[in-house]
Amino acid sequence: MILFDGKTYESSEQDRLLTELEKRIPEILAKKQLSPEVVIEAVACLREDLLKGRFDDLLSSFPSDVVETYKIQAEALLSEEHLHKKLETELGNTFEYVTDYIKGFKQIRVKKMPLGVLFHISAGNMDFLPAYSLAEGLMTGNINILKLPSADNGLSLKLIMQLIEYRPELKDYIYVFDTSSSDIQGMRKMAELSNAISVWGSDMAIEAVRGLAPTGVKIIEWGQKLGFCYITRLDEAEDADKELEGLASHIATTKQLLCSSCQVIYLDTSDIEELKSFAGRFLPILENAVNRNKTEEIGIRARDTLVSYTQRLKGLLGEEEKHENVLRGRSCSVIISADNILELSPMMCNVLVKPLPRDKIGEVLYKSRYHLQTAGLICPEEDRRHLAELFTQCGLIRVTKASDMSAYFPGECHDGEYALSRYVRIVNVEE
Amino acid sequence: MKLRRKLFASKDPYDCTKSELFLGACKENFTHLINNCEDYKKICDGLGIHSPDDIKSPADIPVIPTMLMKQHDFRSGRYMIMATSSGTSGKMSHVRFEFGALIAALKMSIKVTRYHGIMSFRPCRYIVMGYKPHRSNKTAVAKTAYLTTFLAPAISRRFILKHTSDGYKPDFDSIIKALEKYEKGKAPVRFMGFPSYTFFLFRMLEEKGLSFKLPKGSKIMLGGGWKQFYQEAADKETFYKLAKKTLNIDEENITEFFGAVEHPILYTDCSAHHFHVPVYSNIVIRDPDTLEPLEMGKTGLVNLISPLCKATPILSIMTDDLGILHDGSTCPCGVKSPYLEIVGRVAPEDIKTCAAGAADILQGVKV
Repeated sequence: MILFDGKTYESSEQDRLLTELEKRIPEILAKKQLSPEVVIEAVACLREDLLKGRFDDLLSSFPSDVVETYKIQAEALLSEEHLHKKLETELGNTFEYVTDYIKGFKQIRVKKMPLGVLFHISAGNMDFLPAYSLAEGLMTGNINILKLPSADNGLSLKLIMQLIEYRPELKDYIYVFDTSSSDIQGMRKMAELSNAISVWGSDMAIEAVRGLAPTGVKIIEWGQKLGFCYITRLDEAEDADKELEGLASHIATTKQLLCSSCQVIYLDTSDIEELKSFAGRFLPILENAVNRNKTEEIGIRARDTLVSYTQRLKGLLGEEEKHENVLRGRSCSVIISADNILELSPMMCNVLVKPLPRDKIGEVLYKSRYHLQTAGLICPEEDRRHLAELFTQCGLIRVTKASDMSAYFPGECHDGEYALSRYVRIVNVEE
Repeated sequence: MKLRRKLFASKDPYDCTKSELFLGACKENFTHLINNCEDYKKICDGLGIHSPDDIKSPADIPVIPTMLMKQHDFRSGRYMIMATSSGTSGKMSHVRFEFGALIAALKMSIKVTRYHGIMSFRPCRYIVMGYKPHRSNKTAVAKTAYLTTFLAPAISRRFILKHTSDGYKPDFDSIIKALEKYEKGKAPVRFMGFPSYTFFLFRMLEEKGLSFKLPKGSKIMLGGGWKQFYQEAADKETFYKLAKKTLNIDEENITEFFGAVEHPILYTDCSAHHFHVPVYSNIVIRDPDTLEPLEMGKTGLVNLISPLCKATPILSIMTDDLGILHDGSTCPCGVKSPYLEIVGRVAPEDIKTCAAGAADILQGVKV
């Protein structure tokens, strides 16, 4: 299904519509500019209808507690107040100004303008990411071409159509395609129509986009990241068991699928025996959390089991001795590894436990500098500030409590940058 | 491979007394695999199965998921032909067969099709509800569908999926024209191929108000699974009724096959439409959480075991189907072995992850 000019079309019409889009873009760019207020109003209407239960049917595929959480988040995050705040935080309060007079120089007007056309290649690992990414493009006044992830369940398209229903003038700025990732010609054509490509995905996806993009197009990468938890002086931490429960619950709810999810638990030690004793303590806690978050859907359970079993076999194919110390629980495991590499775990509640004495932190993190994002901490309160500083100096973007590794904090950046500021350019006009 | 030869030479394809021979043939196959496939040996060692002595029952044999075969190419010795899975989700597994495996498969096919009365010397016309062979198509489905057109001498063969410049496209109109012609002739018509396309054809005929009285002895043979059409999957009763209504083919002349390229055993439904497990294979249904073997009647992941092939380690594989193994001892058809019911598939394989590398975006594309 394609969404073009506010109407839906069959996927087979893609070529014709892309040719038409090529003619439309310059007309729209020359004609007018989209005000963020229009977008904020549309999003606020969406929020109101969501809270009234108008989309409950659409959300029926999610567990009811998840829907509740989404609603609570939407209530706060989609409000006009929050969106205005987001604009201010991410773009600053210097949207347009004239430079001060300096003797011997002329003055200019400085203004933030949209990039033009943004091509979003969205990932499917967050339920509302495609629609969210598009909304950010709209708030900065861009024309948006959105390629839906193949795993999208139709929810994104429906939400986007709602936005157009609230404010029909948005239709000039929204073009959604369900192109398959293997349709290189289609993807290339979309890239060629764009000023910038915003791509979410793995190193491989980003590399492929770089290959496909015409020279000169700006590539805005939201790449694959690896999260970890760092534990030091566990027994001196306030309520250590509760902290571990929080970590287990984070692992069980995200299934380690997010960039911010914990893949490795590092212990501040070089003693393997200490790792083993920690793993023994953590396994039942993890098992409990997994059990609490267990889905009843047999197809999903079976898939998760198959995926982690396949990962386990792949591990055996790679380095057969590496993961010799594995404590297995029901639908989860704790894998003890003597190295300190930050790497992807088998996911699906199979977490790695590795040694990382404090004096090795810098060295280990430097090796992973392209993939750093979130570190969760479990430590005595007096160590928190120091560790947070150490980690951010070494390249981390987010330092949180272990239970909050994937939590959303209003005002937070993404991978070290504000999205909106990446979607605008600064223009200078002589006064 | 003495024991394999012996197993595939069994007179009765549903002989229930051969479990010891079956286990022996599996151990023989296992020994070959660990000596000829380093990757397979690594997995077995990792899972703690180091030698055939560690295998006390077929369920003990290390299980290789087809999911892994789609990501990793295993080889275990010389081969004659290679087949690929149809790649429903874009990825394929490659399975190689050596001469001995082909002979064993041929013996099995003859015994099973003869048992079910599908082999015939009466010439007939074939309508293949599947791929027309094309050099670009290496899928096993295309090959097996084509091979089945030799189960009785062919007067003609027509294919519903035609290779066009845009890939494969179904061509229902030419099939309708052919049916109009065949109805007037004497030769029986045999349909072979995907149940989904066959079902769509029935529905189309019904919508157009068309029905044909095909010559006596006409048959519908179904294979290849319902693939991406699971949601459309008709219940069998509706399917049989429509077959009778639109093509005048009775239920007893409809036979369904089940198999997978990674487990090339011919499962054929009996008169009660049950897929009994033949002597050449074993099925273990595994717990969707722990992969432990489940008792009969419980739903779980389907683990298929057969010592058919040496050139690829497909001795014990796990598909992404969900199924139930039923006690077959009371089946009215007389076969006593358990029978398999496929009830669905695991959730889509392209799990949503950014950490693992948003698999759905431009996977493997080099531009």
